[in-house]
Amino acid sequence: MNDDPEQLDQHVEDLLQDRRPERTPLPDAAALRARQTAAMLRAAKPGAGLPSKEFLERMQGSIHEWVGEQSARPQPAARPSRRSLLLTGAAGIAAGLAAAVGIDRLSKSPAPTANQQLVENGSWKAVKAVAELPEATPVAFRAGAIEGFLIRHGQEVKGLSAVCTHMGCILNYSKFRDQFECPCHGATFKKNGQATDQYDTPLPTLPSLEVRIQHGQVEVYTV
Amino acid sequence: MPEDHRTGTAAFASSGTVVALPQADTAQGQDHLTWAYQTHVTAIYQYIYGRVGNRPDAEDLTAQVFMKAISGMRSDVSVPELRSWLYRVAQTTLADHWREYYAEDTGELDDDVTRPPAPRENPEAVLRVDSLLATLPESYRRVLELRFLRGYSVRETAQELNLSETNVKVLQFRALNRAGRDRWRTT
Repeated sequence: MNDDPEQLDQHVEDLLQDRRPERTPLPDAAALRARQTAAMLRAAKPGAGLPSKEFLERMQGSIHEWVGEQSARPQPAARPSRRSLLLTGAAGIAAGLAAAVGIDRLSKSPAPTANQQLVENGSWKAVKAVAELPEATPVAFRAGAIEGFLIRHGQEVKGLSAVCTHMGCILNYSKFRDQFECPCHGATFKKNGQATDQYDTPLPTLPSLEVRIQHGQVEVYTV
Repeated sequence: MPEDHRTGTAAFASSGTVVALPQADTAQGQDHLTWAYQTHVTAIYQYIYGRVGNRPDAEDLTAQVFMKAISGMRSDVSVPELRSWLYRVAQTTLADHWREYYAEDTGELDDDVTRPPAPRENPEAVLRVDSLLATLPESYRRVLELRFLRGYSVRETAQELNLSETNVKVLQFRALNRAGRDRWRTT
């Protein structure tokens, strides 16, 4: 049995329709590689490859269940008794910040104000030259524990947290739609940090970050 | 979830580099582990989608990866460890998936498991595709661009390229085989 254009096109057609291709046994490794290449091309189509909201919700439930089962199981004696989850590095603290924002929302205290100070006992770190910042187009940065965006308007630069106030994923800026977008559950925010997409409860505005300009460098207050 | 389980979770260590969260034995510790997994779902899904190219398979395999990863992972794990573990499980899961098609271990390509996921509109896939297309002869590149990136049907592609539909399928066949061979060689 040989691979042929007709059979391969059937596979391609399935991918293009986002259908599960038939599991036809393949004659050789070349046929498999052609299909793997087709998959890669398919995923590069604009808008492809993002999980659906339904799937993410389903996974959220399953993961919760699996983690529960896993920790209910007896643990080997050699394991450390204090099984704390350590979130190290910047991602961890970004997560921590998200959790902090989340608390406010859950406990129905007022949403964080634009000037809420996220960092205590930090220091100023230079992240970008002012000259590198295009007018009015957010530029992402990471400095220590902070992930954020810098937005320049004329000589003024503003900093916004890049952590989604829904569940703490890191936001992307879409040039095409000119907004911040969450890869996890699709929340969207305007460039001023205001949430545009309503969930069951309105999402808090993205917190502002403390920034200053020193010798042409934008500095961010961070830990 | 009771509100008080969430409070006090964002404790900064004085060094500012470590956040120690409550123990995993407690309900709130589990929540954090759950949350740490959940934040990786989109990235793992995209990673897998870029390799299987369709939603039903990507959903099944992503679910498998998390089920295996959670049952095989300690609960006192750092986020970077958890991340590279997830990618490693994703690789073996994909290898098993391909084995169903073709009974030989073909391995997985070009994967740096330490690379932190940066979920966007699959930029990884876009970059890889750009450099792949650049190496192909013009007619191969054209047919793949039209079919995959612009979503043309075989008939539309035939009209655009002034070919018969059979010829489009043959050209597509050759282009995918050539690109598959090139990818394998260069990685």
